[in-house]
Amino acid sequence: MPDVYNWHLGRTMTYPYPEAHPTKQFAAVFNINRCIGCQTCTGSCKATWTFSRGQEYMWWNNVETKPYGSYPQHWDVKVLQLLDEAHQAAGVQPQWDHSQASEQAPYGVYNGLTLTEASGPNEQVLGYLPAESEWRSPNFYEDTSTGYKGGAYGLSPDGASLPEHQAWFFYLMRICNHCTYPACLAACPRKAIYKREEDGIVLIDQERCRGYRKCVQACPYKKSMYRGTTQVSEKCVGCYPRVEGADPLSDGVPMETRCMAVCPGKIRLNGLVDVAEDGSWVENPKHPLYFLVRMEQIALPLYPQFGTEPNIYYIPPRWAPRPYLRQMFGPGVDHAIERYTAPSRELLAVLQLFRTTQKMIFRYEIEEGPLVREAEINGKPWQMYNDTVIGFDAKDREIVRLSVVEPLHERPMERLNSI
Amino acid sequence: MFTRSRLIIVAVCLLALGAVLANAPLVSSQGLTITAAAIEGDLPIDAPDSALWQQATAVEVPMSAQMIARPIMPETNAKAITVRALHNNAEIAFLLEWQDATRNDTTLRVDDFRDSVAIQFPVGEGQPFYCMGQQGGDVNIWHWKADWQASLIAQQNLQTTYPNLAVDQYPFTEPAENIYLAAYADRNYLTAEAAGNYLALPTHGSPVEDLVAGGFGTLTTQPLAGQNVRGFGEWRDGVWRVIFSRELTSTEAEDVMLAPEKLYAVAFAAWDGANQERNGSKSTSQWVSFQLASAPGTGAAAPAGAAAQAPLTASVAATQPTGFNPLFWGFIALLILIPLGVGVVMLYFYLGNKA
Repeated sequence: MPDVYNWHLGRTMTYPYPEAHPTKQFAAVFNINRCIGCQTCTGSCKATWTFSRGQEYMWWNNVETKPYGSYPQHWDVKVLQLLDEAHQAAGVQPQWDHSQASEQAPYGVYNGLTLTEASGPNEQVLGYLPAESEWRSPNFYEDTSTGYKGGAYGLSPDGASLPEHQAWFFYLMRICNHCTYPACLAACPRKAIYKREEDGIVLIDQERCRGYRKCVQACPYKKSMYRGTTQVSEKCVGCYPRVEGADPLSDGVPMETRCMAVCPGKIRLNGLVDVAEDGSWVENPKHPLYFLVRMEQIALPLYPQFGTEPNIYYIPPRWAPRPYLRQMFGPGVDHAIERYTAPSRELLAVLQLFRTTQKMIFRYEIEEGPLVREAEINGKPWQMYNDTVIGFDAKDREIVRLSVVEPLHERPMERLNSI
Repeated sequence: MFTRSRLIIVAVCLLALGAVLANAPLVSSQGLTITAAAIEGDLPIDAPDSALWQQATAVEVPMSAQMIARPIMPETNAKAITVRALHNNAEIAFLLEWQDATRNDTTLRVDDFRDSVAIQFPVGEGQPFYCMGQQGGDVNIWHWKADWQASLIAQQNLQTTYPNLAVDQYPFTEPAENIYLAAYADRNYLTAEAAGNYLALPTHGSPVEDLVAGGFGTLTTQPLAGQNVRGFGEWRDGVWRVIFSRELTSTEAEDVMLAPEKLYAVAFAAWDGANQERNGSKSTSQWVSFQLASAPGTGAAAPAGAAAQAPLTASVAATQPTGFNPLFWGFIALLILIPLGVGVVMLYFYLGNKA
């Protein structure tokens, strides 16, 4: 098998096909800290793509409550266990060497086996096929926290104090990661899955698919789903007509997907990043996704150790236990939480851009404003400035303008209750 | 001690030679020939119990797991398939029988896999690679599917699989029942069907899909108009019995053309859905010779005891060709000469050692 470079792991890894990268990559940042678990994203996706017969159980977008919730049930625990068994059989102790971090390896170098490397002689990818029952109850364990024995009546002043809550849960919102090295694509014996050159969106060819479900078995995130009524598999399509700018609303420029654009919690930022021939992101400091992922490094890939180089990045929750988060998002967790807790002046401005326009933002500018607040965070002084951030679309037209401090309007007394 | 072991080896070789001469079952499918017996009148295309099948010689074709292309499943369930064939100068029918402890005839649920069976022929002259053919060596594949068969008998749907399923509405794909639903239907919501995927059609006229392939990963459904293979399958007491039938000739370039007095190659594959066998995870045979008997009565006669009542215990019947078959007799000669040579060499060393 050829070697391909995976910058999440900081090393080359084996993959069934040689490296070939799209010119642009569909990517997004999800801010877990702001998610309220309302499932509006889930519902919008359902209403757009999966409302037909045979798709009843499909949730291309889902929000699960960690650590117990998962759709399909225990997908992450099962895949981690398979990897663990493969590591034990191979006598490998998987480790991240953060000291080797560099421009090409921002999280350091990982020496463990990826899913394509741990697959053994008979399969392309290490994986499992979820049972039918595991796809049911997609929101099981909703809002269920870990156990904690408090004081009287189970209450405790320390149970929910930072940096790590004693009793904790957080929402994990998931769509297809449109991976750089998709496991589904690697496993398809018919080459019915392809990654689009123009935006890196991964699609299942509905004409070539024969419903073997090797992709369902291989995708560690379990975002390929089988449709019994058509006997073929389907998956998240990245709302590609919107990304292409085909929606009449978009005026010909790329729009965010439905799940991103509807988010009431404003936790999602979706865009297209330029990809160089070697698969790295072309340096573009004023692109909000490049800034968040590559410069500030506050948004991290989900289970990078799987080796698929997923393209949805998460700002990890500040309150959850770090070992759990490091397992989930890799070694960049501590740095990301530190940066997010006391954001830099520019970061605070860029964070305002989330879900403020349906159009994808390709560039931002900041107009500096006055100092409005001074505080001490984690023992260090911190300043807040009321800067203005301006977002531009694919045609470099201004599409959004926001200040860090939300404008406040106080109603006059006589109209206090009017709508 | 050494003398004794050498004697044993010589004895085994002699026994093997004897077995070959006595037409005992072979481990490999090489050298098997299936002969389609010629009959008058209609073929029993949907009657595996028909007495007509007793006119055909049963050939048990050994099968083993596909071990060449990933994904590989080393332990597949079908170990052999018993094949009979009949023709009436216009049509041909194959009866395939194999053991399968479970009937898996639905694919509606996400972890349901079907039982199925396939026959493969080279499209042109020669024998391409026996697994899915090769580039420049296309194969014509007839794939019978247990779930398509079941759907022909009683339409399967989600309501029968999930009796408590409740969905308020399926907009755009099903007729509007009230003013709140869109009054139009859009086939694009059945994506695979709209894309022209034959598998995704709501109904199939035959349980057999007619396909063409030229190597691993190239399997392609023939156009809807070219779906000309009929089928019938029935599961009883742990045995699937499946009949394929087609006209001997076809106007399509992707179809095998069959005529009497000619030697063809044919291969078989079977999938056990209970074992999640699908795609390359299957039991497959190697190429087996296949020919059509020229006229009624000249086909290979059924040996005693190999009747349709006990098909799976039927012994391997080597061919009784209608004329002199150089391929067959050459092969038999090789089978005799090789063990003889080995025996002579071993005897030579044995005697030398003794001296």
